[in-house]
Amino acid sequence: MYLFLNVQILYKVWTILIPHCAPIQFDVTFFFFPHPFLLFILAAMDCDDRTRDELSELSVPRDAVADAQDAALGPCPPMCGNGNTLGCILESIGENVIDPVVAERTCQQVLESLMQKQDVADNVCGSLEGQDEVPDGSLPTSASAVGESSKECKVHSSRGLQIVTTWTLAKCDRAGDGIKRDKELLNLEGLPRRIPANSSASKQSLLLRLFESKLFDVSMAISYLHNSKEPGVQAYLGNRLFSFPPDTVDFYLPQLLTMYLHGPEEAGDAIKPYLVHRCRHGPDFALRCAWLLGAYSADGPAVSSRQRHSRGTKLRRLILADELAPTAGSSADQQNANSGFGRARSKAVIGLIPPSLPCPGTVLSAISPSKRTHQRSKSDATSCVSQAGVLRRSSSNPKVEMQSEEGQGSWRPESSRAVQCLLQQVEPSDDGQGGSVEPDRRTVRLAPEREFLKSLMAIGKRLASLPTKEQKTQRLVAELSLLNLTLPARIWLPTAAFPHHIVRLPYTQAVVLNSKDKAPYLIYVEVLECEDMEHSPVPARIPESRIRNTRSEENLLEEFSITSEHRAGSFTMVPNIDPDEDAWAQDDIADLQVEQPEIHKSDKSTNSSDTISQFSVDSITSLDSKAEPVYFLAGDIRRRLSEQLNVPATQFRRDPEDPSAAALKEPWKEKVQRIRESSPYGHFPNWRLLSVIVKCGDDLRQELLAYQVLTQLQAIWEQERVPLWLKPYKILVTSADSGMIEPIVNAVSIHQVKKQSQLSLLNFFLQEHGHYNTEAFLCARRNFVQSCAAYCLVCYLLQVKDRHNGNILLDQEGHIIHIDFGFILSSSPRNLGFETSAFKLTQEFVDVMGGQDSDMFLYYKLLMLQGLIAARKHMERVVQIVEIMQQGSQLPCFHGASTIRQLKERFHMSLTEEQLQMLIDQMVEGSMRSLTTRLYDGFQYITNGIM
Amino acid sequence: MAQPEKKSGLLRKSSGSKKVFKEKVVLMYDEIFKTEDPVQNNVRFWEELFLLKVNLEYLEAKLESLVGDQLMQMKDNINSLFHHCVLTLREDHQIRVVNALQTLCGLLRGVHQKNMPNTGFDIINILMGFDNAEEEMKSLMVSLDSLLCGDGSLSLKGLCLKLLLCLITVTGNISQNTILEYIMINSIFEAIIQILSTPQIQQHLGYDAVVLLALLVNYRKYESANPYIVKLSILDDEMALNGTGLVLSRTLCEYNRHYKSKEEEAQGGIFSTITNIVGNMFIGEAEEKLSPRTNESLLLALYEAVHLNRNFIAVLAHSHPEMEPATPPQSPSSPNTPTNSQLDGNLPTSDALVSTELPLDPNTQTSNLLITFLKYCSIVMQDTKDEHRLNSAKLCLIILTCIAEDQYANSFLHDDNMTFRVHLHRMPMRHRKKVVDKNVPSRPLACAVLDLMVEFMMTHMMKDFPMELYLRCVAIVQKLICYQKKCRVRLHYTWQELWAALISVLKFLLSHETVLLGKHNIFPLALQVVNLFNMFITYGDTFLPTPGSYDELYYEIIRMHQAFDNLYSMVLRHSTNNGQWKDPASKVTQALVNIRAIVNHFNPKIESFAAVNHISQLSEEQVLSVVRCNYDTLTLKLQDSLDHYERYTEQPREASFFTQLVRSISADVRRTLSLGTLSQEVLLKEFSTIA
Repeated sequence: MYLFLNVQILYKVWTILIPHCAPIQFDVTFFFFPHPFLLFILAAMDCDDRTRDELSELSVPRDAVADAQDAALGPCPPMCGNGNTLGCILESIGENVIDPVVAERTCQQVLESLMQKQDVADNVCGSLEGQDEVPDGSLPTSASAVGESSKECKVHSSRGLQIVTTWTLAKCDRAGDGIKRDKELLNLEGLPRRIPANSSASKQSLLLRLFESKLFDVSMAISYLHNSKEPGVQAYLGNRLFSFPPDTVDFYLPQLLTMYLHGPEEAGDAIKPYLVHRCRHGPDFALRCAWLLGAYSADGPAVSSRQRHSRGTKLRRLILADELAPTAGSSADQQNANSGFGRARSKAVIGLIPPSLPCPGTVLSAISPSKRTHQRSKSDATSCVSQAGVLRRSSSNPKVEMQSEEGQGSWRPESSRAVQCLLQQVEPSDDGQGGSVEPDRRTVRLAPEREFLKSLMAIGKRLASLPTKEQKTQRLVAELSLLNLTLPARIWLPTAAFPHHIVRLPYTQAVVLNSKDKAPYLIYVEVLECEDMEHSPVPARIPESRIRNTRSEENLLEEFSITSEHRAGSFTMVPNIDPDEDAWAQDDIADLQVEQPEIHKSDKSTNSSDTISQFSVDSITSLDSKAEPVYFLAGDIRRRLSEQLNVPATQFRRDPEDPSAAALKEPWKEKVQRIRESSPYGHFPNWRLLSVIVKCGDDLRQELLAYQVLTQLQAIWEQERVPLWLKPYKILVTSADSGMIEPIVNAVSIHQVKKQSQLSLLNFFLQEHGHYNTEAFLCARRNFVQSCAAYCLVCYLLQVKDRHNGNILLDQEGHIIHIDFGFILSSSPRNLGFETSAFKLTQEFVDVMGGQDSDMFLYYKLLMLQGLIAARKHMERVVQIVEIMQQGSQLPCFHGASTIRQLKERFHMSLTEEQLQMLIDQMVEGSMRSLTTRLYDGFQYITNGIM
Repeated sequence: MAQPEKKSGLLRKSSGSKKVFKEKVVLMYDEIFKTEDPVQNNVRFWEELFLLKVNLEYLEAKLESLVGDQLMQMKDNINSLFHHCVLTLREDHQIRVVNALQTLCGLLRGVHQKNMPNTGFDIINILMGFDNAEEEMKSLMVSLDSLLCGDGSLSLKGLCLKLLLCLITVTGNISQNTILEYIMINSIFEAIIQILSTPQIQQHLGYDAVVLLALLVNYRKYESANPYIVKLSILDDEMALNGTGLVLSRTLCEYNRHYKSKEEEAQGGIFSTITNIVGNMFIGEAEEKLSPRTNESLLLALYEAVHLNRNFIAVLAHSHPEMEPATPPQSPSSPNTPTNSQLDGNLPTSDALVSTELPLDPNTQTSNLLITFLKYCSIVMQDTKDEHRLNSAKLCLIILTCIAEDQYANSFLHDDNMTFRVHLHRMPMRHRKKVVDKNVPSRPLACAVLDLMVEFMMTHMMKDFPMELYLRCVAIVQKLICYQKKCRVRLHYTWQELWAALISVLKFLLSHETVLLGKHNIFPLALQVVNLFNMFITYGDTFLPTPGSYDELYYEIIRMHQAFDNLYSMVLRHSTNNGQWKDPASKVTQALVNIRAIVNHFNPKIESFAAVNHISQLSEEQVLSVVRCNYDTLTLKLQDSLDHYERYTEQPREASFFTQLVRSISADVRRTLSLGTLSQEVLLKEFSTIA
């Protein structure tokens, strides 16, 4: 609290300064009122800019330095709104109008009076140095210096600038190269340093001590970033972000971006270096940023000013044009170091891109020709040919390919574009001695992935137009099989936790999910784990039909993969370009010649011999010896048949109207095994199977918010050692109306359970896990209770509505999992006041727990209490997530003004534990008896057939 | 250019029987067919020649009219004509290139129409001269290759393909065409593949390219190393494979649609059926109308692709969603040339069509090449009376055999997630109504294959028994079941239909034993059928969908025990009388052990059950319950290698079939290859704007 106050004070100081800002600036513009105080403000503000830049520069390496310098020289103090005017004013004023002595004195006075007024100035040794006219025309500046607790004060007058406290230099521990850079910068005399104006040093130091303490984590950083209005603090925090492990920061990416988009200017500027830095280093992060930016600014214009809005769009455009690729950055830096133009350019790259600058355009146009050569075999062939100097189709080829591209376009635009991009991508531009390849590589970083997602979304859109599930499924399989032709490629699933490349879509496994008018679908994706998505080579394509039958074929596969890599050879008619390929081809021909009579079989020969040998092995094992006849009982066969059919009773039967039920019921491990066996890539040790739900036409931003809250609660409960079980599922928002969801494996909805098994929930538990006293059942029941309690709390806290049985899943181990957070907080489905209870607790659920008087039911209530107490303890962590997201958001869950207040109220900070317990009992009772829950289930059954 | 032609036409009309006005090009041809060098009179002779419109009829007729010796005398001039044709191909002037291509076609055909007994080298000698042949052909192939791969117009590429087709089909037997040896050396495989992998070109020229490839692959298939076979079998360019698949399914689809529209036409009502019947009496060709001529060249291409290239199997499963809505039903004037402009005009706009029209038509099913092919098969197999269609049906079954043997194909045939409603065409027959059941359930494709086989077995038990096709049919079923057994796939198929069909086949064999034995060895078929039953009996636990279906199998065997009894006595007779069928018959005897055991085990039980309960006619349920109760006392013998099958090999058994097939296809192609002057008009129009 104390610390918070501190920040508050800082904030007050600043607000006092700010109101003066605008009018004064106006005056200056017209040279009416060259009041010295003005200059101070201007200077302060300017310094402020610098500081921010320096702070970012401290940890943002090379490229940011350029940025900072640009900012220092160039006209870009975003604080004052229009940077350009200010820039020109400063120049003109600096030389003509201002009397530095007066300025100095006035500044000092103002400062002192201010400090006295605020009664916070207990330790200031600010001195304002008079400035000479600065010969090189850079702006005259004065600054206040605020002592540190050590009372050290350094005043630098060189080049008329600046004092510094060591405050900003912050011994903040930074990762890696950041530290070194800090030190270098520290030694650089004369570089601008500044502290936040007018802050109380002692309190400041407390804040600093907090920031530097071990306890300080991302959550707190985000919180201070959000609440602090003090640019220095924000700048510091912006830098501090670099020191956190990336994945912890990733969690708060939506918050960071919202602050960047809709938050105060300074916060945005503080965050930006970090975003840019991360975008530069991870294509995944870059894309995620771009998508989220797109999504969050979708309904922005109504709320935020045009300028802020465009800030988001600009960054987004920047990312998508892939200006932030590492190669681009470094080259820009080099230029930057060399010439003034370089600065301008890097400015354009990193900062705001003026539309007049042809930078992105040229890059794009430079790319487009190379984009055409989408079939690597051909392009290789051409280059080979032209190298060899033999007259071949070298000249004519590009045109042919252009045609092919257009032809494909007419065939299926999205996928063919994907084909191009992906195919082009397959080939790492390893032959990149030529300069022309350079731009290629850059777009290639993000383009394939974007195309991939675009085509997935396009499929979803097309599916939505088909009337029946069956047709949708067929169409889906058809579309995916075409998409499959373009794989493997340097694309990945953003929901996955490890770096990988997608190598194949087992398209026959894809299913359309239940939805009335949209067509969300579930696909499985085979990936090969790799070390670095950006740099590891993409695996070579293995044709679909080469399913590995036995180990002996492994060598063969090796060979095949080589050939497919050198496919080019089979395309060119000029021999002796690639000795490897040539040798192989000749070998192959020789093989074929040896087996002359059965040329056509040679390709299949391995396969055939395998299968036959397998057959014979089968029959030999069944025939113990060939000499004596073996007898068997017809009854045995009949018995085995019925046994085998009875065992997999866990499987659901296939239902054309609900294709997802059977697909989801199949245990994940079995599915992985099955797909692995049928995949040509299955033998790779780093083969993995992932799955993802593609949603098109749905806004997933609320889901993302729910995911964050759930994850936060999960962490809180883990930290407090409350055995509550939650399963947050990952969400990827790609735009305001599309995205992907990580499916929960081994889980089916309660609706599907009831429909397929025609059993009550309890009986289903008994069927799945065994009888009451078996360990499996008890374990499943415990899981059920722990998850149920957790989700009840979540439902209560977040006011999750639309809780019909289609939205509640049951997993293999007995956990229930709530999905679909389309109605949370202030929003609820437009129905007739159903679902008034705190959460959904039906008699069936209670039955599974063992009835109202059972121990498990008491345990359930106890867990709820513990969970609520734990959540209450860390309420800020939860509320903060929601609160930040509220900025500039049009989401229905933030409808009304009191969303946050009500959310806070539900934590019941004021109640004692006894009172809480009573509250819980009351809620449980109420929910159980709730008529509306039953009514809603009935309503859903009637309207949507959900049981 | 059109001017002189017009004039000549006018003149010809008016001058009547007087001296016919000769086109300049004809005069120049005459120059060539003299012994002296035409350049002597006109230095720019060759340059002028290729500027003039080709008169193919005259050229070919002239060449035909020459006797062998005369031809030999003009060898030098013909050689230089060929030489200059080849030279002209390299020029930029498109009209000259076109004319040169056409002249080459005419020259090739004309010379070959001589049909000299000792073909081969003589022709090469006359066309190019032995010494230059290699150089000339290489140069020709290089030019053709660059034309095909270059960015020239479609018509030009089409003409190149036509020339190649012409070159390949000039002889009756493709393997005797020695000129092809040069095409083997100077491969144009890559050019063909490029055409197939470029969608826009593929739409127009895909058909010719595919036929060309199929024919090239068949050149001396069994004798020497054909590089096209090698290259086709290792081809893994997905785009090209997919393109090939598209061409095939487009053509087959077109055929199916054509048939369907004919069929619907024929079903117009009672009146029209009566008139049809009456009409049929007078015009025997009405039937021909209903079942249009099959397209064997395409089937051959499909066969080669499936048979040679393992990667192509995957293409079978590639769906072509916009295929059907894209091409509205149209009057297919020539099923042999589906690459007409109307079709092509429709395709590029298909995308717009799909997005708007698909939802409107809920009957539109996603289709793939395999489904289209199965439908096609169902049409082709309906009528196997004439030789031609019998061959088509046989080729279809061979292709299905190859598919049924492939592991990957099986995996998607049996994939539960890839279910389709396949409407197979069924032959209208007297004893069964033609049911147009729209409610075919959506099932894995293997079910459709089994349906097709059952349908075939049930509808071809005729006097002229297609023994070979039956063997193939049963073998295909066996292969599918072997896969199911191995991979434990439980296909939800109504197996009773299959059992009933198999038993009827046995019955047919028994009732026509004497007639059939005169022509065929019926025992292998009987053995296969019996072994299929053995598969069900022995390994039913691994692939039958329900325990009940195992009971039903027994029920079916017991119900039809008469057929098995008769079969047993028949084969016993043959195996004991030391006749020529002794060995094959005794194999069947051994195979029948288990079925006889079942019959002998259950029949007394059922009879006693009936006696005890005083029921004369047991219901199915009662029999099943008896069966269920008495399994445990039944001992069966495990038979050897039930799940073995002989893999399909083309050589040596099918070699002659394919040789014949290729012969007829190449005759077909030669006949339909239109190098007519009409294309010339189009070309000229096209190039006049370019040039």
